[in-house]
Amino acid sequence: MNLVNLEIRHSSQVASAICMRGMRRIKSRPVLIIPTIVMPVVLVVSFTGAFSSLTRIEGYGTSNIYNWMAPYGALQGAVFAGLGSVASSADDLEQGFFDRLLLTPGSRFPLLVGTVGYSACRALIPTTAVFLFSLALGMTVPGGLPAVISLYIATSLLAVVFCLIGLIILYKMKTQRSLMLMQVIAFGALFISVGQVPQSFMDGWLKVAARYNPITNVLELSRQGFLGDVAWSTTWPGLLALVSMILVSGALAWRGLKRLAP
Amino acid sequence: MNENRSGLRLAGTQTLELTQRSLQNEFRQWVVILPGLIFPLMMAAVYSSQFGRTLGLPGFPKVDSFLDFILPGSIVQAVSFGATTAGTALALDIEDGFFDRLMVSPVSRVPILLGRLGGAAVIAAGKAVILILIFLACGARIRSGLSGAVIIILTASLLVLAIGGLAQSMAIKTRSQEAVGATFPLIFVTIFMSSAFFPTALMDGWYRALAENNPITWTVDPVRRLVIEGWSTTDALQALGVPLLLSVATISLAIRSLQRMLRSA
Amino acid sequence: MTEEIEAKGLARSFGDLVAVDGIDLSVSEGEVFGFLGPNGAGKSTVVRMLTTLLSPTGGQAFVGGQDVVKNASDVRRIIGVALQDAAIDPLMTGRELLKLQAVLHGIPRPSARKRGEELLERVGLAAAADRRVGTYSGGMRRRLDLALSLIHEPRVLFLDEPTTGLDPTSRAALWEEVRRLNSEFGTTVFLTTQYLEEADELAGRIAIIDYGKIVREGSPADLKASIGAPTLRIDIDPQNLDNAQSVLSGFGIDRPARDGRVAIGLDGGVAKVAEVVSALEQHGVEVLHLELDAPSLDDVFAEATGRRLEGAEPST
Repeated sequence: MNLVNLEIRHSSQVASAICMRGMRRIKSRPVLIIPTIVMPVVLVVSFTGAFSSLTRIEGYGTSNIYNWMAPYGALQGAVFAGLGSVASSADDLEQGFFDRLLLTPGSRFPLLVGTVGYSACRALIPTTAVFLFSLALGMTVPGGLPAVISLYIATSLLAVVFCLIGLIILYKMKTQRSLMLMQVIAFGALFISVGQVPQSFMDGWLKVAARYNPITNVLELSRQGFLGDVAWSTTWPGLLALVSMILVSGALAWRGLKRLAP
Repeated sequence: MNENRSGLRLAGTQTLELTQRSLQNEFRQWVVILPGLIFPLMMAAVYSSQFGRTLGLPGFPKVDSFLDFILPGSIVQAVSFGATTAGTALALDIEDGFFDRLMVSPVSRVPILLGRLGGAAVIAAGKAVILILIFLACGARIRSGLSGAVIIILTASLLVLAIGGLAQSMAIKTRSQEAVGATFPLIFVTIFMSSAFFPTALMDGWYRALAENNPITWTVDPVRRLVIEGWSTTDALQALGVPLLLSVATISLAIRSLQRMLRSA
Repeated sequence: MTEEIEAKGLARSFGDLVAVDGIDLSVSEGEVFGFLGPNGAGKSTVVRMLTTLLSPTGGQAFVGGQDVVKNASDVRRIIGVALQDAAIDPLMTGRELLKLQAVLHGIPRPSARKRGEELLERVGLAAAADRRVGTYSGGMRRRLDLALSLIHEPRVLFLDEPTTGLDPTSRAALWEEVRRLNSEFGTTVFLTTQYLEEADELAGRIAIIDYGKIVREGSPADLKASIGAPTLRIDIDPQNLDNAQSVLSGFGIDRPARDGRVAIGLDGGVAKVAEVVSALEQHGVEVLHLELDAPSLDDVFAEATGRRLEGAEPST
């Protein structure tokens, strides 16, 4: 019993050490995080600027374009934050540091948890940047504190999802290059959802694709508090989508890690 | 006079030779061309399925479908992928010493730059043809017909020359492939902040001002009129003229940087 | 004495490529064992299997009595590993890395800090502890790597090419540290290297691996003695190569040599040198340069593999 407790304590310490290591790397080389901040902010600027007239169309859901685009930008930033932490893992793999981690006694599971935790923490940075930036340019928060909380939950968990998907690919291909492909897939996944317009605006294939794209649920979860009040009926489908994606991608990543390191 | 002409002819053959080399390089890694086709197609597909309602907004030009509207923007975006290749490839040549080998060979300097650019321009024309065919197959319509399509293809090539020239002068100044590659997001944003995907008339404030004064807008707008309205010689001349002037400017900048680099070497 | 490291028919293939072809090894407690071989001979693959980083595709291996596959976690608890190229994160400081390593091995914080300070002192990095590892020199990285591998006081230390790319001074310092560890704490050391000199200097026993197979094993002294005759190397005009070889074959067995040179194990030793030279001259082979060496590990290696190690030109 005591031994089991000790094992659990060790595992959680390992996971948090891995997570903290990532954050410390950012602190020691802040330049690394700049793209993660600039990208989503530029996205918000571009989308709000180019498509500001969308709010003039009946049924858009908000009269403030920032309220619509900011959660989209924040989620896009979270995706890049998640993939960014995979890029750090790729560095570790290429520089051999990963071997050092693999020599840790006990289960390898904390290594995965630590990496995933790091991507969740990392996602806080672009989310905060986009949030403050949009607020400064006129975004409102009708949903109050719960709106902010659902935004942060959605972005952190989506970062975890894309971190895990990235790790699946990395553990298989073992190269930094493979992540280029991920960026395109990630951008596409968010693009074919309710990123820019509500489902009612879409027609044909896109309407179907967006409906079955789990990212749509996540977008609705993160955006609800900026369109009105936070409601459980919008919250649970988002959480369910996130948790399911985490479970599936987590299981595959775990399998990949075990295959990579006996 | 005569000597001048034969020198010119030599420079011409050398340019052709080096164009061929850069084309061979491109085709050897043809997969690299794919994202430049797929990404704009995906954007066009998504936008024409989600922005149908915007066609009714006051200020939106009269078009049959969003697909017609976005055709020029998609082509500009497609050719912008890989437009910096002329620069990154040059930076790579400088990094790994191939450039030095060219420099000691009797090839005159300018063809080295033009060869790369020529390759990029040919690729761009190819991409434009493919995209136009796909758009037409999906139901888009170019009202100015074949002559309009030819203008679009030439515009795409000229635009790539302009961007490529800029990338080359960056390559000569920074001598780093990475630095040149990093300009791509900037070009991406510049295209977004234009009329490529949405009419400037529907934008507001400073963003609109920025978009209206963006050379990409000056190029896209006449091309679009050729697509959605019909043939107009003024539009055709503007569509070709803007990127032509830009490329003359950026390429002479690149040549000047090269000469300065050689003088200081 | 118990066996700290034991391998029985240990094998690993990557697809069709057989990297390690069923090797047997045994290293006793407190031994320094040198594992020699040219690049790509399978050294690192063996180390990765013994340190649980890679699954064997055949055979078995035990470290500290624990099966490296079935009880991998227990093995990882008792081994310290300094990896090839000193795998360290350039963005962290030496102290941060030591702290991380301590957490990974579940060492309680207060004792981790104390041990960390001791180790930094010991490898001479106390002053550089708060600098980013990216700013360290090659020698400093290796020393930090060694400190990291020692944080949990391992019983068995694996050093994978610990001095490759180091200058002679740093190399000597690292050797000194390995010797000290072995004599003070009785740490068993498994050392891979491509430097014969290093194995000769440190190891009590060595094994030579080539094309995934162990081709020689024993103490450096025994192995050298097994070669017997000293090596005679003669520089000649390459045109006379065949001629010279036929003359020399009467004096001893052929040994591998680089271009423009012939070499034999000279039966009868120094006394025969004059005879060899005059025999060559009689056959019209001019001797450009000549040297006679007592057997070295290099000769052992050359005799075992038919090749010379890179950078291991025989000392004169």
